[in-house]
Amino acid sequence: GVPGAAEPLESREQQVRASLRERYLRSLLAMVGSQVSFTLHAGVQVTAHFGATDLDVANFYVSQLQTPIGVQAEALLRCSDIIAYTFRP
Amino acid sequence: MSEWTKKGPLEWQEYTYKEVRVTACEKEFRGWVLTTDPVSANIVLVNFLDDGSLSVTGIMGQTVQSVETLGEGDWRTRERLTHLFSSGHCEGYSL
Repeated sequence: GVPGAAEPLESREQQVRASLRERYLRSLLAMVGSQVSFTLHAGVQVTAHFGATDLDVANFYVSQLQTPIGVQAEALLRCSDIIAYTFRP
Repeated sequence: MSEWTKKGPLEWQEYTYKEVRVTACEKEFRGWVLTTDPVSANIVLVNFLDDGSLSVTGIMGQTVQSVETLGEGDWRTRERLTHLFSSGHCEGYSL
C-alpha cells in the first residue's frame, strides 16, 4: 500500500506521545542545575536550584530553596503545591 | 481534574509551536508552546527575550483552566523551538 496512507490512529498517537514526552524530558534535563523560580499556591514565590524529578513528575528535588522564612539546603517540592516554574536556560 | 489533563497526545500536539495564553489557578501565562508532557499534562512555554536569551515556563497540567491560541509561529520561530534542547549538540560525544 501507500506508506502512511492507512497508518492506524493508534500508532500515530503513540508516535506523537513519544515525541511530546521526549521534548518534555529534554526540557527538564536543560533545567538541571539552573536557578528555578516556582509559583506556588497561595501566591507564594520561591526560588531553588533544580536537581531532579520522578517519572510521573510528582515531586521536584531541589537545593538552596529560598523561602520567606529562610534557605533550605535540600528540599522536595510536591508538584501538587506548584502552579508553574520558570528558568533561563 | 482539569479538562486539559483529559486531552490526548494528538490534541496536545495541535498546540505545539503556537503562541498561547494559559490560565492556571487564576494566573495568566503567555508564550510559545514547546511541548506538553503526556504523563503529567504539564505545558512548557518558551519566551524569546529582547536580549536574545530565553525564558522557559512549565505549567502544571492539573492547574490549567484554559489554553487560548493567540497566533501561529512563522518558520523562524518554529525552527528555534524545534532545535531548542534537541540532541544536536551531543554529536561531539559520538566519536
